[in-house]
Amino acid sequence: MIRSLVATTLIFAGSFAYAQDLPIFDAHMHYSHDAVLQIPPDQIVKILRDAGIKKALVSSSDDDGTQKLKAAAPDIIVPALRPYRQRGETGTWMHDPAIIDYLEERLAKFNYEAIGEFHAFGDDIKTDVVQRMIALARERNLLLHHHGDRQALDLIFASWPEARVLWAHSGFDRPDEVAEALETYPRLWADLAYRSDMSNAQGLAPDWRKTFAAYPDRFMVGTDTFAPERWYYVGPHADYTRRWLSDLPAGIARKIAYENAETMLMTQ
Amino acid sequence: MIKSVFGLLALFLGALWMSAATAEVILSDNEIALTLSHGPWPPAFVADPSNRVSGLPAAIKLGKGLFFNPVLSRDGSMSCSDCHDPSHGFADPKARSVGKVILDRNALSLTNVRGHRWFGWAGGNDNLWAQSLVPILNPDEMNHDDESLKTAIAKSTWIQDYEALFGPLSEQAATDVSVNIAKSLAAYQETLETGPTSFDRFRNAMERGDIAAAAHYPLAAQRGLQIFLGRGNCAFCHSGPAFTNREFHDAGVPYFINQTRVDTGRYGGLEALFASPFTLAGSYSDDREKSGAWAVRQVQPLHSDFGTFRVPSLRGTARTAPYMHNGSLADLQAVVDHYNTIDLERLHTDGEAILTPLALSKRESSDLLKFLRTLSDDEG
Repeated sequence: MIRSLVATTLIFAGSFAYAQDLPIFDAHMHYSHDAVLQIPPDQIVKILRDAGIKKALVSSSDDDGTQKLKAAAPDIIVPALRPYRQRGETGTWMHDPAIIDYLEERLAKFNYEAIGEFHAFGDDIKTDVVQRMIALARERNLLLHHHGDRQALDLIFASWPEARVLWAHSGFDRPDEVAEALETYPRLWADLAYRSDMSNAQGLAPDWRKTFAAYPDRFMVGTDTFAPERWYYVGPHADYTRRWLSDLPAGIARKIAYENAETMLMTQ
Repeated sequence: MIKSVFGLLALFLGALWMSAATAEVILSDNEIALTLSHGPWPPAFVADPSNRVSGLPAAIKLGKGLFFNPVLSRDGSMSCSDCHDPSHGFADPKARSVGKVILDRNALSLTNVRGHRWFGWAGGNDNLWAQSLVPILNPDEMNHDDESLKTAIAKSTWIQDYEALFGPLSEQAATDVSVNIAKSLAAYQETLETGPTSFDRFRNAMERGDIAAAAHYPLAAQRGLQIFLGRGNCAFCHSGPAFTNREFHDAGVPYFINQTRVDTGRYGGLEALFASPFTLAGSYSDDREKSGAWAVRQVQPLHSDFGTFRVPSLRGTARTAPYMHNGSLADLQAVVDHYNTIDLERLHTDGEAILTPLALSKRESSDLLKFLRTLSDDEG
């Protein structure tokens, strides 16, 4: 019991000493219209620096937030273009042709490393809007940050076999299912945002440990700042991340914390 | 005059006949089955095994006396009842309660607390006596520490009652005194219970199969109950006899406290819980079996905890405005309006999947409110 309490407390207490300086590439952040209104970019940058976030893949609804953050911290912000003008479009955007105009306009104006995070499930990928968005990414060799199920993932790779895809929340699938997808698609990477199942009071979950060992180059972490207030979870989340990563071999921990995201972006 | 009285009587009897002729139960068999799950009420009293004075009249008397006495605040300026106002369902009419400063949350109602698993908006405690210590020892509220509290009790008019219940104060460690005081407060709060309402009479009549009696429940409230159970999906979280699943959810309510500070909700609650020496698994519990400790031993932090708050009971709720953790919704109409137009953009797409704007018509909103008010029409 005492052991259990101590272990659980560490989730909150922060990282082990040796991991405190572990840099983090946070691969799942949003600075959307409502967050822009409530937290100024300078405050966001302070939150990131205080948490030891060295790089952050940021996409926002609308894109204005990403550009504001990029201007405030070009050394940290890796911009991605979200196909939403408001976050509420997550379930409707694939049926709205105006999204393509929006994407083309932003792509002409700014530089991006990725398109996404976009939500698409199953046959959503077959819609004209999603297909055109994939084509736009292909023309520019941009990463696709996809939030959706395995069927949609299969359809993305069917549409563009050479795509680089970052699977948001790893599809909320089980570790063995994520592993199977990674095995099937060598150009697939997996983010672990908003998942709490990697670690519990007893330490790293055995099925995840096995999966990380099998695919040490393919995972990365993310906070998912889906509501404005969640920017204040960036610090606690970074501490939590360092805590569970400290239960892995240092080399794998470094890869998941930072290096895999860097490698993914540099991959041609 | 006599003619006039007869006229009124005839009118009254006529109305009564009309009412009886039109009264009915409009719930389906499935809705009736769901309705039965919201009772019976009140639940039988079961003493808290973690509190050796739970249910003892002497403890209830001491707890009640202390609850209304400023001795529990270090400077003698406030009592528990200042925020937990008995004339307001033991909740606070202020949106954010006021201690030494304006606090972050609205003080929750203390009625029906004995059935909870977690206490406070964030569930920072797993038992009522530990929760009762929080405001006493919080520097922003009553601002005692264990030593000052022991001294205050020693000098108070309550010392004889205390020692009759717990033994000589001078022989007790200060922390033990604090816990004893909290246990007497808990014993009193266990008695704060809402009574049977017109909803319960409706529910019990249906359980008996007495449709004629059940039909006295207003049709508008029945329609509101149908929305509550069905389209509104309210009963998903507001379940069981107390109308709460006793857990934590994101109801789409912003949780900024100011521009640079947020209320972390259940996340912070779990931090407090894991750091507390006063849980049901700890040595201050009087339950040798540690029968309720499974929850604190098994609960796991989740990323989704951040900014979630405990689902409050709906019993007596019409008396306890304002609503939500920060009192940001002024009345029940505002609560219904909130769920009518809930901002899905605030919610994670893989989070609270049951929430969707209810889009109730004016009459439907009115019906839902009428149902909710039938959970508060007891004597209070």
